[in-house]
Amino acid sequence: MTLAPDEDLMLQVRDGAGEMLGVLFDRYQTPLFNFYSKLTGDRTLSEDLVQEVFLRILKYRQSYRPGTPFRAWVYQIARNARIDHFRKFPRERAFEPEMLPPVPPTDSAVEQQEVELLQRALQQLPEEKREILLLCRFQELKYQEIAGLLGCELNTVRTRIHRALQDLRKAFHQLAQGTMLKKAEAAAAENIPPRGGRHGM
Amino acid sequence: MECEQIAQLLPDYLQGDLRPDQQHDVEAHLKQCADCAEEIVLWEKLFLLPIEQPSPASRARFEAMLQAYRADRSTEPRGNSPWRERFSSWNSFGWLHAPLSRVAWSAALLAIGFISGLSLANSRSRSQDLAALESQLASMKQMVVLSMLQQQSAGARLEGVTWSTRDQQLDPKVLSALLHTLRHDPSVDVRLAALDALSRHSAQPQVRTSVVNALQDQQSPLVQVALIDQLVEWHDREAAPHLEKLRQSPNLNPTVRQRADWAISKLN
Repeated sequence: MTLAPDEDLMLQVRDGAGEMLGVLFDRYQTPLFNFYSKLTGDRTLSEDLVQEVFLRILKYRQSYRPGTPFRAWVYQIARNARIDHFRKFPRERAFEPEMLPPVPPTDSAVEQQEVELLQRALQQLPEEKREILLLCRFQELKYQEIAGLLGCELNTVRTRIHRALQDLRKAFHQLAQGTMLKKAEAAAAENIPPRGGRHGM
Repeated sequence: MECEQIAQLLPDYLQGDLRPDQQHDVEAHLKQCADCAEEIVLWEKLFLLPIEQPSPASRARFEAMLQAYRADRSTEPRGNSPWRERFSSWNSFGWLHAPLSRVAWSAALLAIGFISGLSLANSRSRSQDLAALESQLASMKQMVVLSMLQQQSAGARLEGVTWSTRDQQLDPKVLSALLHTLRHDPSVDVRLAALDALSRHSAQPQVRTSVVNALQDQQSPLVQVALIDQLVEWHDREAAPHLEKLRQSPNLNPTVRQRADWAISKLN
């Protein structure tokens, strides 16, 4: 197993050791795939985009400069690949709740339901808010790196993250209330016999 | 503290980047403010979202792409300079210092000096002088591009291709040289760069026809994929039969075949 830092591996790839890209692929394909699938809800497209990212790494490997954090560099490529894709092929299908992956069962049913709601709340956010939360929470990019990616000031990143979280909380609340109403209705329907049920005898 | 003040600190609190006194302020606020506290809880819970796994075919596709890339590289004749040096001039303003560029720049400066000298001596109108100067410069640039495209080193030919993109309008001679480069240059990188340069001139029917034709005689999977992508980007429906022909050719790289299938479905 190679534990070399990403940056060292990328420098080797740059200098012609293509096989080292395999190690980087193993490290990054799942995070990149999740970045795309949580943004678009489209598994096939997400896999295509991951391939595109690695093709671009090979194509542009000479532009990788020593000292550049690989993670930030690769997400720059990943963002561009997605932007280019949607410029060429405008979106064919919207991100629907049915496209969300199933939440694996947890010890507590309540927690599982909460995660499901959270997933739906995230999916309801506008794409740029969803993206910034994904970048800092799942891809573990530093705010400074996100500022570089999005081409904005560090303070703007902080503001955007906070707004995205506020929106997430509101969306989560609405969904939770909706679910509670449905539950209450279902419970009420079970307790009250259907109207006219007794007259028919 | 009010929520608004906390809002400034919250993102850094999430990352654990606050000073101890600020951290204390935020924690005191979170005990009183349910909304802010809930944001933190949701932030923590985001980590519980399911992680999806890509399909196993994904790794195989990557391997195929990598192999195709290696095959390209091993068939390519090595230039005088290693890869990195060739490309350093491509990515930065290094091309200003490359020996060939130096010659070109000296020639251009000489021409400017010569023409401006002439214009001072003559009493022609200023605009006429400028027009003459521009046309001289344009033909100078074409000469530079044409001579660079014929250089032995792939790096110099790459520079030639970059030079050609500096003009909005392509001179017919430069255009035909680029088309020749796209089809016959021994270096994959130069062919890819030529395609990039040509893609800006899709309005010229000759360019599209050549890209379609290049599809048939390219052996490099990388260039084939780039050509296919270009045809899809142009929504060139006439390319569909050619793509069909390509995908049926034996020994075609599987990645290229997949790409061709995808392109045919996009174009039809």
